[in-house]
Amino acid sequence: MSAKIHLHKTLQSLTNGREIVEAAGNTVGDCLSHLVRQFPPLEEKLFDKKRKLLNTIEIYLNLQSAYPDELARPVKDGDDIHITLMLAGG
Amino acid sequence: MLTTDERVRYDRQIMIPEIGEAGQEKLKKAKVLVAGAGGLGSPICIYLAAAGVGTIRLVDRDTVDLSNLNRQVLHGQGDIHRPKVDSARERLTGLNEAVTIETVQETISEESLEGLVESCDLIIDALDNMPTRYLLNKAALAHRIPFFHGAVSGFEGRVMTVLPGRTACLRCLYRGPVPAEKFPVIGVTPGLIGLIQTTEVIKYLLGIGSLLTNKMLRYDGLSLTFTEFKVEKNPSCDHCGRRTGVGEKNER
Repeated sequence: MSAKIHLHKTLQSLTNGREIVEAAGNTVGDCLSHLVRQFPPLEEKLFDKKRKLLNTIEIYLNLQSAYPDELARPVKDGDDIHITLMLAGG
Repeated sequence: MLTTDERVRYDRQIMIPEIGEAGQEKLKKAKVLVAGAGGLGSPICIYLAAAGVGTIRLVDRDTVDLSNLNRQVLHGQGDIHRPKVDSARERLTGLNEAVTIETVQETISEESLEGLVESCDLIIDALDNMPTRYLLNKAALAHRIPFFHGAVSGFEGRVMTVLPGRTACLRCLYRGPVPAEKFPVIGVTPGLIGLIQTTEVIKYLLGIGSLLTNKMLRYDGLSLTFTEFKVEKNPSCDHCGRRTGVGEKNER
């Protein structure tokens, strides 16, 4: 399976400016792992040391919140995964 | 009943078929809590007052700082070091003296919210941190009144409307605490996000249109795009979920 991962703009400096990256996997977690293999500096922007997603990260699968258990969500060919950041300012 | 002056003042919006005189009277009777008189609170309060929303209860603990003025358009240079709620009251009363402005200069806490929310029809989030936002979310659920969330950073913002007991709440997306950081922002972003929140509030008060419920609307000013993400009620949400939720408890 292959999904299109849409990266938040603060992450695009780590993907050579690419906003969308194709990643393979059967679950969201697999796809994020493949994304990180392509762009290793993303690892610490997405995961903590126990490889739990950081609290500031939000994942949407086909424009629907994937929370909770984001990483276990099954992915179909052509799915869209958005990685966004929680915003706290006002 | 609207006064003659009010019919003149609100003429252009009374002309909108979805509003009319009956709608204007609904706005006049409304009482809303605005939490924060900063970047979001400024456009929210100004346009609520301009629209004739009858009572605005505004709470903010801070004083005006020079570094606020790139975005907090309620305040001016002459207001530096003054309580934000004082300059806000002057500005809003100057705009529309028929609107009642209730101001409270205090820190929002779980305890203080009991009094702040009292007799309000809804809560508008114009805050700059997540922990206090969750207090507002919880209070809205407990009092079963709507909660209008907005947040910004840089050129980006987001909006979500919560109808307690019926739609996903802000806490349904909670993943754990996030570090409190000084956030970058240019005034146009809270200007736009605050006015989307205010549009939601006005529609809710009038009972018209559709709301951003079960949705997180994301705005990116750099690409000038809006993305609508769907959000569902999280059954294990510690605010509105089946077991521990505040809203559910109230329903029993």
